Amino acid sequence: MIEQLHYTTTPKYNFPLSPETLQIPQKFIELSLKTIKTPKQQTLQLPQQTLFNNCSTTKLDDEDQTQFFPNHNHYTIQSIPLNPLNEETTIVAVDVSSIKIGETNQGIICAIRGTIVWKQHKSYKYLRIGPFPLHITEENKREIYRLLRQHSLNLPNEPLHHSNLINMPTKLGNLLECWIRMKISHASQNSIILWDGSLTAGTTSSPIKTISQTLEIARNHLNATLAFSKNTYLRFLTHQLTVSKNLQPPYLLEINDLPTKTGSFSLLGKVYMTRLTRNGCCFRLDIDKELPNELRIEAVEKLLGNDLLFQSYPETLRLAHIFATFTATEVIAMQRFLVKKCGLKILNRPNIHRFLFGSFGYGPEA
Amino acid sequence: MRLYKKEGNTIHILSFPEEKIEKGDYLLIEDCSAKKDLIVQIVDVQFANIPGILEELLRDSTTNQHLNGENFDPFQLVSHITYIQDSNMLLCKARGTIENEKIIPNISWLPSRTQSKIKKLPTDSLLNLGGISGDLPIFLGDTKDSSQLTINAHALDGKLNIITGKKETGKSHLSKTIILNLINYGAVAIILDLNGEYTKLDFSLDGKRNEYYGKIHVLTPGVNFEVLLSQMSLRVMLNILFHALNIPGTSAREFRQIWRVLEQKGTLTLRELGEAIRNWKCNHHVRDALFSRYYALLNSGFFTDNPSEATIFEKDLCNVENGTALIINLRDTSTIDRQIIVEYVLGKIAELLTTWKMRAVFLFAEEAHLYLRETYWDDIVTRMRHFGIFTTFITNQPDTIRQNIYRQADNIFLFNFTNENDLETVSRAAKVDAETVKLIARDLPPRHCLVLGKVVNDFPIVAKVRSLNIQTMGQTRLFFTNKD
Repeated sequence: MIEQLHYTTTPKYNFPLSPETLQIPQKFIELSLKTIKTPKQQTLQLPQQTLFNNCSTTKLDDEDQTQFFPNHNHYTIQSIPLNPLNEETTIVAVDVSSIKIGETNQGIICAIRGTIVWKQHKSYKYLRIGPFPLHITEENKREIYRLLRQHSLNLPNEPLHHSNLINMPTKLGNLLECWIRMKISHASQNSIILWDGSLTAGTTSSPIKTISQTLEIARNHLNATLAFSKNTYLRFLTHQLTVSKNLQPPYLLEINDLPTKTGSFSLLGKVYMTRLTRNGCCFRLDIDKELPNELRIEAVEKLLGNDLLFQSYPETLRLAHIFATFTATEVIAMQRFLVKKCGLKILNRPNIHRFLFGSFGYGPEA
Repeated sequence: MRLYKKEGNTIHILSFPEEKIEKGDYLLIEDCSAKKDLIVQIVDVQFANIPGILEELLRDSTTNQHLNGENFDPFQLVSHITYIQDSNMLLCKARGTIENEKIIPNISWLPSRTQSKIKKLPTDSLLNLGGISGDLPIFLGDTKDSSQLTINAHALDGKLNIITGKKETGKSHLSKTIILNLINYGAVAIILDLNGEYTKLDFSLDGKRNEYYGKIHVLTPGVNFEVLLSQMSLRVMLNILFHALNIPGTSAREFRQIWRVLEQKGTLTLRELGEAIRNWKCNHHVRDALFSRYYALLNSGFFTDNPSEATIFEKDLCNVENGTALIINLRDTSTIDRQIIVEYVLGKIAELLTTWKMRAVFLFAEEAHLYLRETYWDDIVTRMRHFGIFTTFITNQPDTIRQNIYRQADNIFLFNFTNENDLETVSRAAKVDAETVKLIARDLPPRHCLVLGKVVNDFPIVAKVRSLNIQTMGQTRLFFTNKD
């Protein structure tokens, strides 16, 4: 047999995805359309200071983690110096935002949007998915959640506990985020994948099975998953771990002996504190704990060598956050869209705080 | 458009991108419940202060060669965002109210913010409502919405007008338009023409005579405009000596005596005047002073002893039925000669008007500060107006006209100004608020004029001055012209 030259196809991995290849779930669009067509009554516009508060989807999870990390003093800490690795590596970051657009007589109207940012060959590319406006009521919230959960996470139905309407945008945002993370883990190869938040699983929106599966898919495609958390409740001898003046950045502080499971929560990542630039802030960093130790450190070093760092925070993740965030203009535009599309009438709801407390009713100065 | 807020007589209106509006346009705020409509004029168009706009622009500015991307936007919300971003805030000034289909000057009421409907008020509707054109219409030009701006000549009659704007914006063009229209209605116009721009008003662009031929009389001092001393009163001559030639009081007293002697003898000529000064018994300093003034008069070329060369000034002005314009061509005359001539002309006009030889005259004075003495300003706008001299000042240096003139001006035709000081000066005019002048005049394109005052019934209107089929002669001579 004559030896044939073996041609391999060009790998598609790491090319920034187009919306088509990402196969945006029609379910999101259908659900969105279905829900926003239902309200046929007046909406009540919220006071602006409430309205323009973007919710990062990880906020609820972070709050949950306070229960997960009790203030005990049994951690051991090991510092690891870092050297940037300039080996060309794609950095991918994912972030999702949700926002409340207004209220109706029956519920709330919110919007969610996801963003993926790639850093490759000294340039950044982004893909924004959404926004998807949703009208959530007490009647349809379980149905919406079930449909999205089933579609995004491919998980069986699970009762929706402790979910008042105000938390629904964040929960739905979490589902979209899970779906995007899963898709990115599939589509990337030899990349560093950055998540906003932590690798803690066990909430209804971040089931252990889904997060483990996502991390596993990423590993199988030779990716390393890192999660940067802007807020942490970690303490050592009652001191905040973010203060470490003696070490020369960039460095990792490896926190050992943390309980990996408490109640329904599981730590799927190895927890570090890190300061990546001299004048930067200190962040909690979770790295997929199934990765070998040297690969975990190498992943951070590749991040140092391939991405810009602003205040010790990766630029790719920063851009993902910026592009996901809803601006006030977008909120007004969505309100206008809803008025046009659904014939809603916007009314100004009186500001009860201001009404009761006068000039003291604004809350803390913005 | 939505009514946003009102501060003083400034009304803020939110406008959206599909509503094509510009500075100077009029809007009607219809309040059905009050059964009244408020007329407002847009004096400035600004971007609406949208919350979050800075973040939006900053985020957009990050998209460059190192950062680009795609949006999967199934609901096409981007179009709504751009719609919001492009919305405008219109700064408007309240101008009047329509009640029972009549315009009244009341702007003290406030239309409903929620119930009012705002629509554009076409200029022709405004002109009709305001009764601006009248029975002696003068077509000035087209407004931005292609309506014809026609003012009433009655609104210029007995009025003080100012035409001002920076160089090459079309001031002379407008004044020529007004002059020719006044001639059409049988009026007499005298133009103090500094640059010889008005000398060919009776010729069309192709060089042929037009309908004004025979009605335009150009008087060029020293060429076809010379006068005998005997045509002149002592008062006019003393004005010349005092204001143009700065004669001292003692010398003026001697001159008066000499003049009276010559007048009694009937020998009031230049030659006899020279002889009389030479032989007059007086201090030699006085004689020297009189001689220096005598030679200034002699060298001006404006005075003659030959009656056949002398111009009978009133010949072209009195008993005119079909209208006429007398152009005093001051081009190529020195500053002192110019002052001598203008003193003579104004003195003569005053004389003709006081003796009722002339009914009234429209005086057009270009850059009057170059030949009109200080005290004449007040004289012209107050005293002489009652005799029938209705002045139009034309200048590109608004600060050369005194503040009290602006305050008394009945009509102002304002062309573009970019200089803050110039705008500040003009904005002192009583006919309109300072903000309107500053905001609109700053952005006027060439040949566009903001008309203020009685001619537009106190509704400031922007119009593009129509072109004229006459030899306007106002073009600047250039060195780098196409020689072909």
